[in-house]
This record gives sequence, C-alpha cells and structure tokens, in this order.
Amino acid sequence: MKQPENVCNENTFNQLYEAHGKPVWRFIYFKCGDTAQADDLVQDAFIKLWQNCAKVTKEKAKSFLYTVCNNAFLNEVAHKKVVLKHAKAQPDKTNYQSPEFLMEENQFQEKLKNSIENLSEAQRTAFLLNRIEGKKYAEIAEMLQISVKAVEKRMSQALAILRKEIGNV
Amino acid sequence: MRKEQLLHKWLNNEATAEELEVLKTDPEYASYLQIAQASSDFDISEMDTQTNFNAISNKIKPVRQLQKPSVFSVVWKVAAIFALLLIGYYYTTTLSTSIKTEMAQTENFTLPDGSKVALNSGSEITYTKNNWDDSRELSLDGEAYFKVAKGKKFSVKTSEGTVTVLGTQFNVVARDGFFVVACYEGLVSVAFNDKLVKLPAGQKIQIENGSLLLNETTENVAPVWLKKESSFENAPLQIVINELERQYDIKVNLGDVNLEKRFTGTFSHKNLELALKSICEPLQLNYTINKNGAVTINAKHSE
Repeated sequence: MKQPENVCNENTFNQLYEAHGKPVWRFIYFKCGDTAQADDLVQDAFIKLWQNCAKVTKEKAKSFLYTVCNNAFLNEVAHKKVVLKHAKAQPDKTNYQSPEFLMEENQFQEKLKNSIENLSEAQRTAFLLNRIEGKKYAEIAEMLQISVKAVEKRMSQALAILRKEIGNV
Repeated sequence: MRKEQLLHKWLNNEATAEELEVLKTDPEYASYLQIAQASSDFDISEMDTQTNFNAISNKIKPVRQLQKPSVFSVVWKVAAIFALLLIGYYYTTTLSTSIKTEMAQTENFTLPDGSKVALNSGSEITYTKNNWDDSRELSLDGEAYFKVAKGKKFSVKTSEGTVTVLGTQFNVVARDGFFVVACYEGLVSVAFNDKLVKLPAGQKIQIENGSLLLNETTENVAPVWLKKESSFENAPLQIVINELERQYDIKVNLGDVNLEKRFTGTFSHKNLELALKSICEPLQLNYTINKNGAVTINAKHSE
C-alpha cells in the first residue's frame, strides 16, 4: 500500500519552496503591498508547513501555504498599496516611436500605476494575479477561496475603475 | 453582455483572434484591453528567494537538528540520573548488616530497636538497619536466641520457615532441614511449608524436612546453649554431630555408624571428653580422639 507522500523529507520541502515560494510571495504581496511583510508571512507559512509536515501531503502543501498565508494576512489587518515598478523596457518597438508618443505612453503608464495602487485590496489582488501572474480565473478563485463568478466581478470592477480614473486615452 | 463574457475569456487567455477583433470594435472594451495589456507589463518587487529560504532554514534547523536530538538526549540524561539515584537508593537501603559467628564462638548483640540476640556457634544473621522500625525482619542461618522488644511484627526468616512474633523470647535453630523453635515468653507464630503453628510460652516445636515431629512443653526458661550445653530431643545423629563439631571446632569422622539413630539428651560445651561420652554411651557408640584433635566414632559391636 502506498502511503501519501508527506513533506517531512528535506528534499520534498525544498522542492515545494522552489515551486511555490515565489507565487505565494507574489500572492501575499498583492494583498499586503509590503515586501517585508510578505517575506515574514511566507517564511512563517513554510515554517508552519515544516512543523506540520507529517499531516500535510505533498498534494495539499500548495493550498496549505496559501491558506496559512492568507489567514496570517487577515490577522494583520493593516496593509499598504502595492508598489508597482515602471513597466519593463519594451524592446525594439520604442525605436520607431515619436517622442510625443513616448511621453504619452509614459504618462499613461504612470496614471495606470497610480490607479492600480488605489484599487481595493480584493480587486487589486485578483487583477494583478491575472495580469502579472497570468493566473486563470479558476486558479484565482481557488487561491482566494471565492467563486469564479466573484473573480469575474472583481476583474470587471477593476477594469471599470481603472478606465474611469485614466479617462479615455 | 456577450462582450463582457468575451473580455473575461480574453483575460483568461482563452479568446480566439476573431473574438479579440470583436472586442476591439467596441471603444469601451478596446480601452479595457489596452489597460489590461499595459498592466501586464508592470513589474513588481521580486521576492528574495535565497534570503527568505535561509531565514526559513535557520528557523527550522534549530527545531530539526538541535532541539530534536537534544530533547532526546536530555530525556536520556534525566533517565540516567534517575536510574543512578534509584540504584544508589536501592543499594543503600537494602545494604544489609551481617553478623556471623565462627566455630566454637557465640555472640551477643542488640538490634536497632533494643531487641537482644544471642547467636550460637557457626550461625549467621542478616538484617537491614534501614527501615528497621517499619519492618523488623532478619534472616537466620543457624541457631539464635531472641529477646524481642515490644513493637511491630518481628520476623525471623530461615530456609526452613519463618518465625513471627510481636515481642517475646524465643530460640530458633535452623540447620540442614532441622528446624526447632522454642518459645519462652509471649507468643510466637511459626510458618513452615504452608503451615502456621502458634507457639505459646513454654512450648517448642521441632520440624524436620518440612514436617512437624514434635510439639511439646519445655521446662527451660531460656535455651540451654546459653548455659554452655546443647540439648536434643529425638534428633538425627548427624544434626547432633554437626552441633558437636561447631561447638568444639573439631572434625568428627563417622565410621560404620548407623545414621538413622536418634539422640535425646544434652552435651556440654566445656569438656569434649564428657560431651562425647554423653552422646556415644546412650547410642552404643565408641569414640577415639586422635592426636591431631580429630574424633572418630564407630559402632560398638564392630570391635
């Protein structure tokens, strides 16, 4: 009889960190908007995972990490705005663009950035998970423990607010 | 609301090119697309994977590598200390005092509670000083006379049986399957071979190899051996000779003597010649004392 593999093995644990460390960190960073807090929450979640390694199977480790992080985050209510960095340099394209266009483009990016930072925590998390992490609605719904319909709603709201704030570009 | 669905489909990365074209025709949705597209290009703070991993490892390792073994080693240390203490305690509390008399030697001594003991030749008493007041218990191999101080149960354990009293004077002989208990004062209970006999003052019992041979009155007020005599009643010859050997520290060679013979009588501890006569004459035996002190006893008819 095959026992479900738990995560008490050091290698398994390291693999889980490789696989889920960053996504979990991003997820929680979208929520709390503070790198130091995200570091703490992720560290605590992995430590908790290790302490409960006997009870958590490898398959359940991912949702364990998200749940622990999320619960810990909810306990630390205070949160800041997610600080976005400027868009990565877009290669090639820029060479052919006029200075005015570049300026507009920069203004647009700046506006968008501020608007995203002003979204509510629920909208922003869903929006950034989708946009930056490229997560599908179903995945987001699972992570946030809400329905896919709720994710759709949050996405629509986020886009509507952003469009309103930026105005027609 | 079809476009709304298409938008979500596109955001989910599942829209086809045609569907995207449909969305682009609507200015509202076109701007959504633009915003969504631009948002994807943003960069956010990166997690410092290594630093975080080190932090996690540092917090985990003490739990895993230092604490866990140390928890066990502490347990082992504590267990070892307790074991040592226990052994020490057991050793000191059960450390017994032993009093032994050699051949032709008697000894008088007092037990911790004031009970007096007279130990006949070639006998040994062992008892533990600790807890003496709680359990007055000693083991005897040989013969001894006890004058027990009043108090808790006083037990004399021998290989032949156990004698229990509460405070009295009594004599116990326990040698080679021969067990005699005489009570001079108070009441003694004798346990042997699953039997229990209550012995009132002035009574004595003789047990041979676990069976009761004699239960009768004794006129003596104290054992005769205290007066340098040995008294026997229907005792096997071997037991009598053994006692003689002990009292005079000699070796007795028995020739063609019938060991089934039994002896009733007394011999003195002061004069070997007299003692041998006391034993041999009633039993029709001859004795000779060699130059080196050894004694040979033979049956009379053999001459």
